[in-house]
Amino acid sequence: MNMHQYRPSGPLARYLTIFMHYLAQYAKIKMAYRWDFFVHIFTEFLQQSVSLIFILIIFSKVPAIQGWTRDQVLFIYGFFLVPFGIYSGFFNHLFDVPEKYVLQGEFDRILLRPINAWYQVVVETMKPELLVSMIVGIIIMIYSGSNMNLVPVWWDIPLAVILVIGAALVYAGVYTFLASLGFWSEGNLGLMPMVYNLSQYGRYPMTIYRGPVRFMLTWILPFAFVGFYPATILMHRYEYLGYALLTPVVGIVCFVIAYRVWAAGIRRYRGTGS
Amino acid sequence: MKLIEARGLTKEFRIFSRSEGVMGAFRDLFHRKYRVLRAVDEIDFAVDRGEMVGYIGANGAGKSTTIKMLTGILVPTAGTVTVNGYVPHKQRESYTKGIGVVFGQRSQLWWDIAVIESFKLLRRIYDVPRADFNRRLQQFDDILGLSSFLNLPVRKLSLGQRMRCDLAAALLHNPAILFLDEPTIGLDVLAKSKIREFLKEINNEFKTTVILTTHDLGDIEALCPRVAIIDQGKMLYDGLVDNLFSQWGQDKLEDIVKRIYMGQKPEPGLAGGGVSLV
Ligand SMILES: Nc1ncnc2c1ncn2[C@@H]1O[C@H](COP(=O)(O)OP(=O)(O)O)[C@@H](O)[C@H]1O
Ligand SMILES: [Mg+2]
Repeated sequence: MNMHQYRPSGPLARYLTIFMHYLAQYAKIKMAYRWDFFVHIFTEFLQQSVSLIFILIIFSKVPAIQGWTRDQVLFIYGFFLVPFGIYSGFFNHLFDVPEKYVLQGEFDRILLRPINAWYQVVVETMKPELLVSMIVGIIIMIYSGSNMNLVPVWWDIPLAVILVIGAALVYAGVYTFLASLGFWSEGNLGLMPMVYNLSQYGRYPMTIYRGPVRFMLTWILPFAFVGFYPATILMHRYEYLGYALLTPVVGIVCFVIAYRVWAAGIRRYRGTGS
Repeated sequence: MKLIEARGLTKEFRIFSRSEGVMGAFRDLFHRKYRVLRAVDEIDFAVDRGEMVGYIGANGAGKSTTIKMLTGILVPTAGTVTVNGYVPHKQRESYTKGIGVVFGQRSQLWWDIAVIESFKLLRRIYDVPRADFNRRLQQFDDILGLSSFLNLPVRKLSLGQRMRCDLAAALLHNPAILFLDEPTIGLDVLAKSKIREFLKEINNEFKTTVILTTHDLGDIEALCPRVAIIDQGKMLYDGLVDNLFSQWGQDKLEDIVKRIYMGQKPEPGLAGGGVSLV
């Protein structure tokens, strides 16, 4: 068989090729503004370091907070950074949808192309360099894990992958939902910064919050599942086992609901008047 | 079976009015006042494969809204529409593989990347075999003269260059139907004639069906044997351009159209009078 004539086919292959193309174009544009690009990555690093230093300073004064040691809190933060990196790279810019795509009518173009609209928006607005947070997160996990003499077992790895996917789906779901509101509200509702701040709550032990906050972060805007719950199981603390194992389920439910709202929103899309 | 078939096609927009002040804004949250605008009002429209149809009307008549329903961007408020065997807004992803769309007012290409890269990306999106892609690009280049700016990003192109690229992009996957919403807007005479020549050739060679809105009746005279005229969402006329001439007993399309927009009727008794004014 002539290898050159082999063309991968099927929708998945097509979507992957399209992704690679967008990625290549993105890289080209970024290399034209190389300086911006590196500044961007650097500020991301800096931001994570500030959070890190914050945690270190707190724990230089007290040995533990509500039963959580410095290394455990660091570990949760490290885990949190992995789905957070995926979110920053791919889903953060769903917040462009209400203004840029709906109000300004860019969505016309999206709807005219024979690929999934949500996918198009994600690949058009992605900033894959922000995936660096994942690496920072993994380093923090390894560092804090070894400090607390965590002995990894073989199933930690596949489990971590599943938990990260679940957590990333929570992010994808929440941001898809927020983006979809643009089909109803005519413009940005200004909810994004608030939700972003709430998402950051997910990187601390839930025990430091009051009941209602904890309830909300678990069942309403389930950001407890992007950091705290799944991280506990990976550091082999099992008092939240049930919640931790729910992470992929919560992720899927969250995304499916959001995607339905998105699809309903598209049917309401009205473009711009001439 | 017609290639395009719309019956009672209607689109209404709710136009919201904002109340004054903080209390007003608060009230609007729960109960917003709006009026309903019928942008397209029970249109019947059918087109055969290979036809070139001009679609004209004054500003705000409902042309773009019709095109957006036919292309699946907007969901109709009422009526039915099938195009190329699909219901556009319901089977969007399969349907759009078989159509090409150009909006003169807004480019469909990616702003920041070189035109040729946009084309390559479109090749993937529409799953066009490489050989077909190269052959078509070559052919488009021959007529439209694209090669000198294929490596520039869209934002650096002149309007005429951009429009030529948009046209080529809309045809790379050899669609059965080409929808053009004001493709000649703002172009100079030379660019216009190039585009007309190109459309004629495409229609000739590939039997591509073309629906075209325009304010330049020269486009209609050069390309479209058939014209549909819309006003305030209602179809005023749908038939041959030639019939218009005989109905009105005039030889300038512009005068005829002007009168139709002003709500006049052709005088009875003229040759062919009273034929297909709907
Ligand atoms: N997204 C929209 N929201 C509100 N009104 C709209 C929208 N799109 C079009 N309209 C209104 O519908 C009418 C028809 O518009 P359009 O189809 O763009 O006209 P044309 O293309 O013939 O100039 C106009 O009155 C326009 O203001
Ligand atoms: Mg228009």
